[in-house]
Order: sequence, then structure tokens, then C-alpha cells
Amino acid sequence: MTTSPLVEPLPVTGIQPFTKEPIRYIGEDGLPVRPLPTAYTPERLRELHSVMLRAREFDRKLITLLRQGRTTFYAQSSGMEATQVGLAHSVRPGHDWVWPYYRDHTLALALGVPMFELISQVLGSNSDPSRGRQMPHHFAARKQNFVSISSSIANQVPPATGTAMAQKYLGTDEITICTFGDGATSEGDWHAGMNMAGAMAAPCLFVCENNQWAISTNLRGQTASENIHIKAKAYGMPGFYVDGNDLVAVMEVCTHAAEWVRAGNGPALVECLTYRVGSHSNADADAEKHYRTREEVQEWLGRDPVVRVEKLLEHLGHPIGSEERANMISAVHREVDEQVIRAEATGQPDWRIMFEDVYADMPGHLREEAAMLRAEQEGGSK
Amino acid sequence: MTATQERKVEAAPAESRTINLITAVTEALHEEMERDSRVVLFGQDVGARGGVFMATAGLQATFGKERVFDTPLSEAAIVGAAVGMAVRGLRPVAEIQFADYMGPGFDQIISQAAKLRYRSGGQYTAPMVIRTPSGGGVKGGHHHSQSPESYYTHTPGLKVVMPSTPYDAKGLLKAAIRGEDPVIFFEPKRLYRASKGEVPGHDYTVKIGEAAIRREGTDLSLIGYGGVMPDLERAADALGAEGVSVEVIDLRSLVPWDKELVLSSVQKTGRAVLVSEAPRISNFMGEVAYSIQAEAFDSLLAPVGQVAGFDIPYPYVQDKIYLPGPNRITAACVQALNY
Repeated sequence: MTTSPLVEPLPVTGIQPFTKEPIRYIGEDGLPVRPLPTAYTPERLRELHSVMLRAREFDRKLITLLRQGRTTFYAQSSGMEATQVGLAHSVRPGHDWVWPYYRDHTLALALGVPMFELISQVLGSNSDPSRGRQMPHHFAARKQNFVSISSSIANQVPPATGTAMAQKYLGTDEITICTFGDGATSEGDWHAGMNMAGAMAAPCLFVCENNQWAISTNLRGQTASENIHIKAKAYGMPGFYVDGNDLVAVMEVCTHAAEWVRAGNGPALVECLTYRVGSHSNADADAEKHYRTREEVQEWLGRDPVVRVEKLLEHLGHPIGSEERANMISAVHREVDEQVIRAEATGQPDWRIMFEDVYADMPGHLREEAAMLRAEQEGGSK
Repeated sequence: MTATQERKVEAAPAESRTINLITAVTEALHEEMERDSRVVLFGQDVGARGGVFMATAGLQATFGKERVFDTPLSEAAIVGAAVGMAVRGLRPVAEIQFADYMGPGFDQIISQAAKLRYRSGGQYTAPMVIRTPSGGGVKGGHHHSQSPESYYTHTPGLKVVMPSTPYDAKGLLKAAIRGEDPVIFFEPKRLYRASKGEVPGHDYTVKIGEAAIRREGTDLSLIGYGGVMPDLERAADALGAEGVSVEVIDLRSLVPWDKELVLSSVQKTGRAVLVSEAPRISNFMGEVAYSIQAEAFDSLLAPVGQVAGFDIPYPYVQDKIYLPGPNRITAACVQALNY
């Protein structure tokens, strides 16, 4: 445990909803702007930093896979590591339930979903727990209660409310976490789910990973609302506003909000103000050419959440040396390479499973269609 | 009792009784809630009011507000919440006031409920039931009279059911609640009180996917489902008076549907007339007609006849004219018989 004078407990009541400015603990220069809670020892911060760096390098390697044509789609989360790792800190994996959105692989890694499973899904290999049914980057992980990602925007919000309602009915101490981007808040499903959660006092923590771009529509084009979190007021729940590139702030605010939800007070909304440094996907790899400026990206690169933790650790007297950092990065690259080889070695799912999992039991018409395909594939008769 | 425990139903009186279709729905819900505390019921007005047609009348008083409750007026939230509850282990039964109002919940039905098992490789499932009054004949105009079943039969992952008798309504609804898949349960609203029949005193289910032969015949197979079934019977009576032996089949389930029974009937009679009140284009009966011509072509003595609703938004004033009544059905049968 460190004895740094900067490490002081902050009463949880110090976190207020509906603040004008995002709540922040670490400044852009890496220096604390308010006392750090005692839980954030340099050892703990180093641990979390390694999760962030792992996700960052996972991103880099997966983009390479994409360029090599070994997968067809990838949605980066570079720049959003503090938001997702910070949020994961407030989730009890395998106990609480998560209805994620499609840019949440950092959250998945932080919750303990094995990299092998994520890579298997991205490659659509035989080892994909989702059996190659979804386009890349649409994970599901049963052990972590990480529910299957849908491409339809905000589609996960009403079901998340339902899961929370079930938890309330069952009398468990679980909560549900539902994540989405800023674009999702324009969808009817978002409002329907938020409204229902408020009316039903469902134990659901809604987290907006406001990365400020929904493909090529920016936040100002998305809503005339001053920000996202104030919308919580309309649904009768507290809305928290946090610097999403500040790991400590996200952890503190999400933990506080999760505890509030867990205590039976109903739902809460956290808006993490962050930035999607990369493009939306490979479909808009030239984002800077068409819809945003290089200057804007550069400005946000200067607020890099990973670097900010590194600066903080340096300030606390526990710096991550350049050699150590380089070793960490190579270790992740090696890990990705190994898992890719391992996943690819499992081959592709057999076409025979195409007809499974549509229903609990295969109905007659699917048996007929499967037989027809078998004849086609095997050159045999029906 | 914990919420996940199941309880055996008290032995019901063994005598069968004559009830109407909506009472059968209420009884099915009541008995399933007694049997399994995971079953919860919700929607707009289903609580104290008992639903706009009173299908859930008295259930909140019996099972409490935790299990039978009103929700905000949002089909997306109602259907979506059902998905989330099912994922967490409950057996939600959601009511949508009219099938015409399912539009705002459509994406939740087709993108979440229908796909969850498949897209997660079976890691997550959504066993749930959406009950909704469907069809015309009650002077409701196009927002209270449509037959949208084809939107849902077109979506793999959903089971689609539409009973026409109290016996089937009760047995199919119980099967839907006990099943492992999402079920869209259409209730033909004009038969709610008009369709009366016997139900056994004991617990029973009707298997989803099996059709019923309402009357046996040798000259023509008359096939329908839902609200049109009494008209099929009337047409069969009229033809019977002329010496024509009509076999009447009630599909009851559209997905999966009982192709085997339909084909064996058509192979016997050589003629088929298909009846539904939904608009003709992309009508589910098109699938039935395709299967008959593809697999029973050699038995056919006449082209497959079809009587459907018109391809117009459901009209208010011309409500009864729009529906394929006994005269239109009889005419289609005569055409097939005279081919």
C-alpha cells in the first residue's frame, strides 16, 4: 500500500449527479486534480494499465488481421480504454449481467472473457462460442453473463431493462449493465428502455460511451441536448457525467452508480465523455478525409487514457519504464498471434450446424432444408 | 416458494366444460402461473383492468402486482423487456393490445427474440410468449383489424400460432409458455366470445406444429386458420348439402406448420382451397400452396384455390365485405370442383 499523500479516501457522497463539467480525478497532464481514493494503489493502477494496454494492442493487431483479409469487420475501441476498463471495475463478472454494444471488446477483456474466444469470434472459427453465426466483433460470453451483441443500434436497451426487472423479481443482488454509444440515444428503443427502467425502478446501470461520433454524425448532429446524461432526469434517474479518458474517475463514478443501483434505488445513467480515435470500422478507414479533422483527432490523442495513467504512475513514483512497456506490448502481440493460430487451427464451423439453434428442437421444415443442402454439398440424394 | 421452483397444479375437476375462447386464454394463463412461478404477465392495462378484452381479468388479484403488471405504453419496451426477462430465466407472457400495434416492437421481435439463440450459438435463449388479438370483423378499422402473421412467419426463430377454438387456445397457449422458443400467439379477436367449445377438466397441451382435421371429407380439402374457421365450416355445410364431401383442416400453427397432414389430405381429395383473411401478396397460404404443388402435384385434379383478404389497408365501413366469408369460400371450392 502506498503512502503517497495524494492517496486519500473520497467519500462516495462526494460524487454528484448532473454536474456541469465531467467529473475528473486525473488531469490531462497525469497529475491528480483531486485526492485519489486509497483503493487506487500504484499496484492496482499498474494492473489496470496492463488491461488497457492489452486492449489497445489487441486493437492494433486486429486491424492488421483485417488488412490481411483474415477477417471482414472490426470496430476499434482505441481511445476508449479508460471508459471500458473503468466500467468493468464496477461489474461483478458472472454475477451481474451485461448487455453490451458492438465496440465493447475492451470491456469483454476486462471482464475476463478469454482473448481466444474473442479472436475465435472475430475469425468465425470453429472455436467461436457463437458458432460463426454473427459478423465479427459481435461477441457473447455465457460465463461472464455477457449477452450477445446485436448490430441494431440501441436494440439491447429494452432487453437490459427486462433482465434488470427479472433480477428484481427474483430478489437477487445482481444488477444489469447496459452500454451504448452516443448515437444510440437517438433511437426509439433507447427512450423506451430508459423510460421503462425508470417506471419499473429496474436495477440497471446504463452507460453511454460517448465517443462523439456515430459513424460520420457527430454529437452536435445527433442531439440538440446539452449532453447525454441530463436526459436521465426525464426518466427519473440520476445522470452522472464523467471524463471517460480518466480511468480513476470512471471507476469511481461507475462504482458509485452501481452501488446506488444495487441498493435498490432504481436505474442510473453514466455518460463517459471519450473519443473514438480510430474509424468506425473498415468501411470508413479514411474518416479524417470525409467527416472529421486531423486536428480534432490530434487533440484527443493528447488526452490518451493509457498515457494518462502512465503519467500518473510516474508522478506517484512508480513509473513504467520504456523497456517494460515495450515488453508488455510484445507480450500482447505474441498472445494475439498465438491465439489467432490456435483459433484458425480449429477450422471453420461445419455447414451442418447452420440449421441448429434456430429453435430448441429442429422443426420438420428445417430438417428438410438441411437434407437438401446435404445432398447439394455431398452430391448425394435426399 | 422460490421464483424458480415449479409447483404441481392441484388436480382439476375431471369433467369437461363448455367455455369461450377468451375464457380458455384466461384459464391457460391462470393455470400456468399456478404451475410455474417464473411465469409473469405484463403489458398495457393487463393488471387491474384485465386487458382491453379482459383476457387477464382477475389474474393480478390472484397473483399480485409483481407477477401481473401494467407497463408504460411502449411495445418496444414490452417486447424488449420480455426478451431480457427470458434471458434471465423467467417465462414472460407479454400482451400487445392489438396485433396492429406491434410495429414499435417489431425490431425487438425480429432482431432480439427471434435471433438470440442462433446468434449466440445457443448460449442465450428467449423463451417467451407475445399474445395479441388479431384479425378483423369487429369494426375496428385498419389499426384494430389487420392480420400481420406473415411478417412473423417470415422470421426464422419465431413460432407462430393462431387457434380458433377454446380447446386449442388453452392447449396451445400452455404449450407456448412451457416451450423453449419465442412464440407469437395470435388470438382471433372476433372469435373471443363467438367461439365456444369443450375443454377438459384436466391439464393438457396442444403440440405446436400440428394441424387439426375439423371434419373429414373426400372431395376437397378446405384449409384455414384463426378467425375464418367458422366460415370454412359454413361453406362445408353448404357444399355438403349439395352432396360434396369437404375435409376441413385448421392449421392452428403456422410455424412450424403441419405439412404432412395437409399433403395427405390433398393426396386423398385431389383439391385444395386455402383460406385466410390476410392480404394475398406474401400471404402465408402462398407457402402452403407452394408445398402442395411441389409435393402433391400428381394428386391434384384442379389448381390450388386461395381465398384471402384484399391487398388494401383494412377498411372500416366495409369490414364484413373485406373478409372472405362463406360465399367467397364456397365459390372458390365450386371453381376447384368444376375445373
